Amino acid sequence: MGRLSLAWRVLTSGELAQQLAELVSGAAPVAAIEQPMAADPEPAPAVRNDAVTLLAALQREARLVDFLMEPIDDYADAQIGAAVRDIHRDSQTVLDRILGLAPVIDQPEGSVVDLSDGVASGRLRLIGESGPEQTSGNLAHHGWKAARCELPTWSGSFSSVDVVAPAAIDVG
Amino acid sequence: MSARYAIGIDLGTTNSVLAFASLESDTPLVELLSIPQLVAPQTLERRESLPSFLYLARGGETEAQEFDLPWAESRDFAVGEVARSQSSENPDRTVGTAKSWLCHSRVDRHQAILPWKAPVNMVQISPVTASQRYLEHLVAAWTQAFPDAPIAQQQIVLTVPASFDASARELTREAALSAGLPASLVLLEEPQAATYAWLSSSGDDWRKSLTAGDRLLVCDVGGGTTDLTLVAAGAEDGDLQLRRQAVGNHLLVGGDNMDLTLAYHVSELFREKGTDLDPWQSVSLWHSCRAAKETLLAADGAETQTISVAGRGSRLVGGSVSVEVHREDVARILVDGFFPECDITDQPSRQRVSGFQEIGLPYEADTAITRHLAAFLQRQTEEDSPDSPAPTHLLFNGGVFKSDRLQQALLDRLSHWYGDAAPRILGGTHDLDYAVGRGAAYYAWTSQRGGIRIRGGTPRSYYVGVETAGLAIPGTPRPMSALCVVPHGMEEGTEADVPSEEIGLVIGESAGFRIFSSSSRPDDVPGDKLLHWSPDELVETDSMETTLNSDGDEGDDYVPVRFQSRITELGIFELSCVHTTTGESWKLEFSVRDDAEV
Repeated sequence: MGRLSLAWRVLTSGELAQQLAELVSGAAPVAAIEQPMAADPEPAPAVRNDAVTLLAALQREARLVDFLMEPIDDYADAQIGAAVRDIHRDSQTVLDRILGLAPVIDQPEGSVVDLSDGVASGRLRLIGESGPEQTSGNLAHHGWKAARCELPTWSGSFSSVDVVAPAAIDVG
Repeated sequence: MSARYAIGIDLGTTNSVLAFASLESDTPLVELLSIPQLVAPQTLERRESLPSFLYLARGGETEAQEFDLPWAESRDFAVGEVARSQSSENPDRTVGTAKSWLCHSRVDRHQAILPWKAPVNMVQISPVTASQRYLEHLVAAWTQAFPDAPIAQQQIVLTVPASFDASARELTREAALSAGLPASLVLLEEPQAATYAWLSSSGDDWRKSLTAGDRLLVCDVGGGTTDLTLVAAGAEDGDLQLRRQAVGNHLLVGGDNMDLTLAYHVSELFREKGTDLDPWQSVSLWHSCRAAKETLLAADGAETQTISVAGRGSRLVGGSVSVEVHREDVARILVDGFFPECDITDQPSRQRVSGFQEIGLPYEADTAITRHLAAFLQRQTEEDSPDSPAPTHLLFNGGVFKSDRLQQALLDRLSHWYGDAAPRILGGTHDLDYAVGRGAAYYAWTSQRGGIRIRGGTPRSYYVGVETAGLAIPGTPRPMSALCVVPHGMEEGTEADVPSEEIGLVIGESAGFRIFSSSSRPDDVPGDKLLHWSPDELVETDSMETTLNSDGDEGDDYVPVRFQSRITELGIFELSCVHTTTGESWKLEFSVRDDAEV
């Protein structure tokens, strides 16, 4: 985006103007802008927080945000259950593709885990008290790990930096 | 610089794939290229395949650079996942089945006609350009991943349906060259590519699976088309060789038809409950039905499955409606509709019974794949000895066959026809989605490094329409005969002088000829003249023409010529008119049929 077109967008986009005002006053939102723009000859590209990008993918493909944000107290279990099936399938597809979720310990829960090599920090969590000589335990939860983190690359502008799902408008 | 990679490209009706193998390694290790593409405006992600969809952007979207890519700015169109996701809400801006149009000679494939019947003032694009755009994207994805190995210097194999005729192949080639692929590009038939994928996964063990005299039936049901091929194994010089014997006609029926049929059934169930679905919901239903087809028709599938369609707005649970779908109903609808019981002597019905068809494309009147298969096998029987042997082996390809019940339905028909002699499924691993791309890469690798080749030459014979001599009757076109110029099975790198009477062409004028092809007349040789044929036997394709600018100044205003045909090393069909005395020759180029729709 050239400087002229950026200036034009500041003039025409209330949201962008607001963001710039917040930036100047030091109240910029979390994900917005990391470097002061005025000092830079080329305006810094808009950067979106990865959490927003992941949520956007889950909403786009599985409508997970619609589901989580909807008050469901008044619905019968069966109706919720029916809606969940597709959301579940599609969310799983997204998590699988982007994060490649897999167990930290690929063993059946309840099976014996060998601890003789020590406990790697953060990968295992011990429950209860162990004796000094204890070299094994029972797997209570296999844990989860992300085999990768291949988030979509987002290249939008400041006006959509906080958008998880755009508003849809029917124009005929 | 010699090629470093063997690349196979599957330009599919609904999905395109690029597979590759290093030519520097001693075994062909085929990998899929993950393809960066927009999955939403300004959102780039890698996927294993590129949906073959094209979205024509609105002015504002282009200005806001919503469809820009790392390698392209101010894009006024988008291909891939983002384009596919637009097809439900913006059908007038989305091109879907460009490939099916490539072999539809009733329209000019260079004209901007897609989306078909788009409202006036909407931008349109030609089937050839749309195909070029998909290939350009694959080329750009390759360049991103392998900047040091320009694609124009690699060994490229691009797949086409076996049923594509010479003009559809030429158009595919044209799109490929415009997209930056090299002229050394080889076209490979998809069922053969699937066979190569099987050969590559079996290694040398394939010789244990097939023996001389075996006949392999490849049944490839893709998203939009069904492609049938028969490959024979025979001993030549003491070694086992594979030879492609026959290919089926171009059948515009595939997995998408099945998903739509199922979606229609389910939407009727919704209607019974008082719910009419809007177009957006219908497409979401279509996706749910595709998934349900695979889970319900798996070998251990459940008895029933709930199919839900979510509300349109942000209220999801409140707006969602659901119906129970029964496994037996789904099986009955799909088996009855696409794999019905029939005898091997049955012929596909010409009566159009089904409700769905996209206007413009000549979708099959009869969606029964089993009847088309029966007719295909029957044709092989007629041509060989009266009781030609049954196919001995069967290879499935295409996502449709992820449903065990549909595999079983086809196997049941074959065992009904052939009893104990029914073909067996080829052992080994099968990758139903990516076999074509993988097989193409393997083929490209073996073409450089050596390996088994399926031989076969041209799958069809070709004919030029020639007006018969005789007295002209005013107001009546002269009767036309069809002169065979290319026999079935003509090998790459050979040419044929076509014996015929002299044909007089006027100098300085364009000479056009109607061209026909046949997949069911394997005995015709160049020079054979057909006076009668059934519409099934000979199918008209694009005309060919040339302008005769003769250097010779013999004072004549016409030159006597005969035809000469050639199949190049790359499998390209060429036809020339050769002066009967001077030997001067004029190459004919494909053009548009006189009766093409405008």
